[in-house]
Amino acid sequence: MRIDSIEKLDKWRKECRRTFEAPKRKVIVCLGEGCLANGSEEVFNEFKKLVAEKKIPDVTVESVAKTGCHGFCALGPLVIIEPDGTFYTKVSKGDVAKIVDKTLIGHEIIDKLLYTDAKTAEKVANYEKIPFYARQQRISLRHCGTIDPHKITDYIAVGGYAALGKALTTMTPQQVIDEITKSGLRGRGGAGFPTGKKWATCAKAPADVHYVICNGDEGDPGAFSDRTTMGSDPHSVLEGMIICAYAVGSHQGYIYVREEYPLAVVTLQKAIDEAKQHGLLGEHILGTELSFDIKISRGGGAFVCGESSALMRSVAGEVGEPRAKYIRSVIKGLHDQPTVLNNVETYATVPAIVERGADWFAGIGTKKSTGTKVFSLAGKIKNTGLVEVPMGITLREIIFDIGGGVPDGRKFKAVQTGGPSGGCLPEGKIDLPVDFDSLTEAGSMMGSGGMVIMDDRTCMVEVARYFLSFLVSESCGKCVPCREGLYQLRELCAKVCDGEATEEDLALMERLAKTIKVGSLCGLGQSGPNPFLSTLLYFRDEYLAHIRDKKCPGGVCRKLITYAITDACTGCMACISVCPVHAITGERKKKHVLDKNICDRCGSCYAVCKFDAIEIS
Amino acid sequence: MVQMTINGKVVKAPDGEMLLTVIRRQGIDVPALCDHAAVEPCGSCRMCLVEITREDWNGWKKYVTSCLYPSENGLIVSTHTPELQEIRRNIMDLYLARCPGSELVQKMAEEYGLTRTSYKTIPEGDNCIMCYACTRICEVLGRNAISAVHRGHAKVISGPFDDPPPDCIGCLSCANICPTDVIEWHDQDGTRAIWGRTFDLISCRQCGKGIITRDFAEYLKEKRQIPADYFEICDDCKRVELARKMGGLVDLAKEVAS
Amino acid sequence: MTYRYTVNPSRCTGCRTCELACAFTHTQEQKPGRSRIYPIAYGPDRFVPVTCLQCDDASCVKSCLFDALKRNETTGAIELDKDRCVNCRACVAACPFGCALVDDVHDQVVKCDLCGGSPACARFCPTKALEYKRIA
Repeated sequence: MRIDSIEKLDKWRKECRRTFEAPKRKVIVCLGEGCLANGSEEVFNEFKKLVAEKKIPDVTVESVAKTGCHGFCALGPLVIIEPDGTFYTKVSKGDVAKIVDKTLIGHEIIDKLLYTDAKTAEKVANYEKIPFYARQQRISLRHCGTIDPHKITDYIAVGGYAALGKALTTMTPQQVIDEITKSGLRGRGGAGFPTGKKWATCAKAPADVHYVICNGDEGDPGAFSDRTTMGSDPHSVLEGMIICAYAVGSHQGYIYVREEYPLAVVTLQKAIDEAKQHGLLGEHILGTELSFDIKISRGGGAFVCGESSALMRSVAGEVGEPRAKYIRSVIKGLHDQPTVLNNVETYATVPAIVERGADWFAGIGTKKSTGTKVFSLAGKIKNTGLVEVPMGITLREIIFDIGGGVPDGRKFKAVQTGGPSGGCLPEGKIDLPVDFDSLTEAGSMMGSGGMVIMDDRTCMVEVARYFLSFLVSESCGKCVPCREGLYQLRELCAKVCDGEATEEDLALMERLAKTIKVGSLCGLGQSGPNPFLSTLLYFRDEYLAHIRDKKCPGGVCRKLITYAITDACTGCMACISVCPVHAITGERKKKHVLDKNICDRCGSCYAVCKFDAIEIS
Repeated sequence: MVQMTINGKVVKAPDGEMLLTVIRRQGIDVPALCDHAAVEPCGSCRMCLVEITREDWNGWKKYVTSCLYPSENGLIVSTHTPELQEIRRNIMDLYLARCPGSELVQKMAEEYGLTRTSYKTIPEGDNCIMCYACTRICEVLGRNAISAVHRGHAKVISGPFDDPPPDCIGCLSCANICPTDVIEWHDQDGTRAIWGRTFDLISCRQCGKGIITRDFAEYLKEKRQIPADYFEICDDCKRVELARKMGGLVDLAKEVAS
Repeated sequence: MTYRYTVNPSRCTGCRTCELACAFTHTQEQKPGRSRIYPIAYGPDRFVPVTCLQCDDASCVKSCLFDALKRNETTGAIELDKDRCVNCRACVAACPFGCALVDDVHDQVVKCDLCGGSPACARFCPTKALEYKRIA
């Protein structure tokens, strides 16, 4: 069915809504990447099978729905029973029969599968009451976890493409740009450039052809919000892009998806095909003059291709290397034509702004960073997953209230924001409001919203070395400061880790970092030394401990630590069996002995000991 | 024409002309390793970095590669501030770690008082400074036979997929433009070996001297419509031929006159 | 073009002054091997000073893929832009008369540029076998 007018869209929406809301009770299984990896597809199929077999009066096969990511990836696979909102975590295939019998038929809640509140240790039945969800405000992720990403009808049912209809029929392109400008939306890719300004410049650039590109090359380790948006709510991204195309006068768009996101590619392609089938994409969208097509461009898995000019070269089929910065891509971008490039999250936010108005959006967040931002919580945190919060919320709220804090009773040490080229913020900065400007001021950056939380068993020098290693292998290698400089900085960091560095080396590192920062061609190099600079800024004493005292306070750097077995040892022999170099000897139920001369300090014994009997010093 | 200030001196230049060209015309020596007149600038060596600002930037300044920054009205350019010299010194220091054997690098590093690198010398480093002159000249030539393969620190210049480049015509432009002479080639027994490939050299029909590769001659014939037989005789023999022909005419004229 | 370079072989005595003048003007060395002009004997005591004829539809210009060869409209000479030349020797191979030359000492392509409008060979030629005349 082709939808060639607003009236037809509204009519279709009513039909979709009827189907979507038909089942009174619903079993929602999360099929986002995190849950999928934990076997949620089996859970989903089992539900379908058992529900069909049991013939429950108010639960049919149609009641079993799959959705995209809910964000709470640490507890997957997730199952939600609506309308009660019963939230089951870590559901396995074996649990399904019990859920069907007890909850679906018997209307009972299974305590064992419920979420346990980290602070009160109480079971929480309804997901809306879980702090992880309760404190969030979802705009860009508004449909993630509520709709089936593979069904355009689901998206239509929850109000999809209404914003596009509104823009096309009641607004001029200039009005759309004005609305986005007024909303104060800033690019969610990390740099925070005002989106409205970008669109306005591109729209004004004289050329026959304008391009709209969506940057889905989310390469930061620890960031996975764009993947979720593309995989769980692809139509929001498409709708945002079509609105942008209308605003800047484009007829061709590209979504650049990184190689590592195969599921997102499948979901997006399905969404594009369905949108085209229904006349929401392609020639004469919604029966208007607007014609716009979107193609998926798959990246080869290079981090640097997330940089706009390298990305455009990659889309054009060339080697993904950044180019000189005096050429602005909004004037001369892809194929030397004016190009708007925005992040996935930015596009997903656009329909909400168009639909609900700039004032509504500008009212959320802070004055200079409006709206909400999605963060990917990873590392040493209880609630690994995706959260969307208003800008200006403090790190403490995100990490402790929503994220549940650091697990295993350890102490919070630092949080790394903004991916590998971001920075590490210490406990002293925990009350920092999270917005573009305060993060930059504190020596880190917003980046794509990755947050890696570290506990007190983390060595900050090792962290810097790790992220520098990532950047060394991901630098495109075009310019010298980035290619050679980051390599040497990494080598020097490794020297510190090995306890072989001197204070002159540290001074050399600082000089080198400055050269890399000002001398590099693109953002990768310019922000490349940040892992080193920010750890040095906040943890200089740790660097000095490595250099002067030859000690690693985090107990990580192999060459500077020793392992020992304490009296807490129960003689369980677990460590003996895992030690790869046979440094531990002993008998059952007797305290084991570790030979420091043989010990390779790999940490296997520490990881396997259940009695905290391995001491690192 | 636009008006700028370079090191305190007011300078006029065509609008959009790259700063490096303008600066060098002023007789100011800004170093560069990846710059060559025959190819587009690429900004990889970062040695030509200059500091720019404007009256209306209120003291804000930035560093740009002068080879890739077009002239514009009101630009205030400084080419040799202590900060810039420090950056250039650090960059040469890095080059010295990568290409300790390159004479060009040694010579330039010495200008910044460096005789040995402060960093770890890279064990697998060769003298390639990754200036992309070879790949850019190949692009100008219209062949695009070689390019940079791999990423970051492991990047090397090679054919596609690190194999011998099928589009190479053995013209030696890459080897000739290379500032550090790292591209290996040799002519032997009427053949030329480069980039893991071997090409037939056209031998002079008269003296047997090698002229250019047959593939290069084919390419020139196809692209620039040069008759194939022009390439069959070497330049030495062609000059003798010309002298013989012209002399013949002179003799003929003398004969007719007498 | 306001001037034309002419060669009159019947006046050439093979004294090789042009060769030395050329080498010295371009390289400050009086080595005949570094000249852009060669008097070649085609018979006993009979010589032709062979040098670039600055052809109208020049093969060397056509063959250069880097636009390093361009005609100077004032002097009429086809000049080599040394900065742009990468020594691929397409011009050397393409010139039907063998007059785009290679300086063996520097392994560089060199070409007669009519000394920028005052060719030394013509100035020093004692018999006026080489002349650079105003034609308009």
